[in-house]
Amino acid sequence: MKRSLTFLSIPILLIFCFTACVKDTDFKQGDDVSLTPVVELDLIYFNLVAEDFFDQVTQTPVLTVNDTTKIEFLNESGVRENLVKADFQFTFTNSIPRQFLAEFNFLNENNEQKYTITTNVESGSEDDPVITNFFETIEGADITRLTSSNKVVVSVTIPSSDINLEGTLNLKSKTTYFLEF
Amino acid sequence: MQRLLFIFAVFMTLGAMAQNKQLLYGFDKVPQSLLLNPGARVSQKAHFGIPFLSQIHVNAGSTGVTVFDIFKEDESSINDRIREQIFSLNNKDFFTANQQLEILNFGWKNKNGTYFSGGIYQELDFMLYFPKDLAVLAWEGNRNYINNPFDFSDLTFTGEVITAFHFGLNKEVNKNLTVGIRGKIYSSIIDFRSTNNSGTFLTREGEGLDNFYEHSINNADVSIQTSGYSSLREMDGSDEVVKELLGRTLLGGNLGVGIDIGATYRPNELWEYSASMLDLGAIFYTKDVENYSAKGSYALQGIELIFPPIVNGEPGIPYYDTIGDDLKEAIPIDTLSNSYTRLRPLKMNASIKRNFGRRVGSESCDCLKMGGLQDYNQAVGVQLYNIFRPKGPQLAGTLFYQRRFGRYLSAKATYTADPFSYTNIGFGIAADIWKINFYLAADNLLSYSNLAKSNGVSLQFGLNIKIKEEE
Repeated sequence: MKRSLTFLSIPILLIFCFTACVKDTDFKQGDDVSLTPVVELDLIYFNLVAEDFFDQVTQTPVLTVNDTTKIEFLNESGVRENLVKADFQFTFTNSIPRQFLAEFNFLNENNEQKYTITTNVESGSEDDPVITNFFETIEGADITRLTSSNKVVVSVTIPSSDINLEGTLNLKSKTTYFLEF
Repeated sequence: MQRLLFIFAVFMTLGAMAQNKQLLYGFDKVPQSLLLNPGARVSQKAHFGIPFLSQIHVNAGSTGVTVFDIFKEDESSINDRIREQIFSLNNKDFFTANQQLEILNFGWKNKNGTYFSGGIYQELDFMLYFPKDLAVLAWEGNRNYINNPFDFSDLTFTGEVITAFHFGLNKEVNKNLTVGIRGKIYSSIIDFRSTNNSGTFLTREGEGLDNFYEHSINNADVSIQTSGYSSLREMDGSDEVVKELLGRTLLGGNLGVGIDIGATYRPNELWEYSASMLDLGAIFYTKDVENYSAKGSYALQGIELIFPPIVNGEPGIPYYDTIGDDLKEAIPIDTLSNSYTRLRPLKMNASIKRNFGRRVGSESCDCLKMGGLQDYNQAVGVQLYNIFRPKGPQLAGTLFYQRRFGRYLSAKATYTADPFSYTNIGFGIAADIWKINFYLAADNLLSYSNLAKSNGVSLQFGLNIKIKEEE
């Protein structure tokens, strides 16, 4: 009897171990897993002064100032393949008594223009600096244009300028990147 | 990503608390119980493990989350469930896998009653603490966590594959006390780990900033130590890799030494106390070492444009490259090949056992004695297990019931509470059929009807040739 108990219990335990199963689960759902982080990053900032719009040497107005920076991360595969939407926020604080036109041209490697953001900046005064907020959402087909860019040219244009012009034009900007992996 | 999750899921499905063999500890019918307590009472005259089959042990587990939690079939979306789990787990939760394969195991008793035993086993051990902050950052991004630091100390993982060559002595000092010691030489096949990391990543907003935010890495000190990895990376072809790994298996890797000690004290027939300390030792990593370390602080508020006067032919200011260079300078990533020494994860077992039931081995009936040392056919007791892990000790407590059925069969049932679960029931049997000793032990039996709901399962089985005292 005892021997039969031995021989019986081994298969029972074996059956226990090898009939173990995984139930009520669906591993195909793994295909639906997506990471959707939302990342907020500073973009660019500047502090222009009124004197930047007047050439002291030649005593002539400088109506447009430009600067360029690479933003190569936009063009990297992680962003290029997974960026769904980008929200830009530009906040200008202007104490120069002039309106401005600000332009952000996104260019690709061959300096071809892929996307442009343009906005007007309200005029202000030194006593009462004026804040202009501008929002731009890029999504859909435009995303491909944005992510094919690797640099941005920033142009700030003043309608007129003279030697007595005073004040500052400040920009803060950030982008919210909606990614989906 | 899906693949990574699936691998996690498989780890979670496979197996209880890594390395705790609560069923085999004190189970003196199984010669391998000597590996858990070199001072265990030995019931045989000699044993020889069937090579590669004398002990196969697999074990994996996770705290806090099961496969079912993620992959269950219901209305909710898998992404919502993952999110829910990320937020319910904390940085003390972990995933672990442990596997052992005994290549050789043998033992014999000499004329003086000393039992010598030795062998070779291979072991894989992997452990990852849930990197909560980094998982939240990857899953959600930083938008909802402005002014909340993400802590790099959440990143902790260890992994290794070793072979151990061991030889031990076991001696019954007197009828109350048995002591044992085992010496080990470890050969590390591969080792990697990242522990004691520190630093934070912070997106801050507030006064005094030039832009909306300041993104900063503060006092980062993150490192990964590897050995046995860099040379494999450079090899081409699996043949070359296999050859190299086999060489390391046979003492060709980084070497280490360690000891196991243990004792069993039986003041009378009814009570038995035992304790052991395993893997008190270290491996010295000197060969094929590659360590990566990143240290420093850096802060960024975006790109500041200064609109320099345009001079024809002059390139613009390299704002972007300067940021990259500054970052590399502030937080350099060093690759070093400094040797390091690492203590083995120290394991401790202790038990109190109370024998009861029918007396075996008494004058009236010797039929159940069969060379075993149990004087009663049943016993109950308590066992404690502890392993020292990077974030502190992991304890497990076990209640057990042991019973022998006739000459051939012994069984042990356990209830274990550990970080994985409070519902871990285990069952093990050992059978002596002719000279063949066979054992099988598995825990978390309640979850076998649906492994997906289990936080862990461990399984050990093996075959030995065992020669009993009277033969």
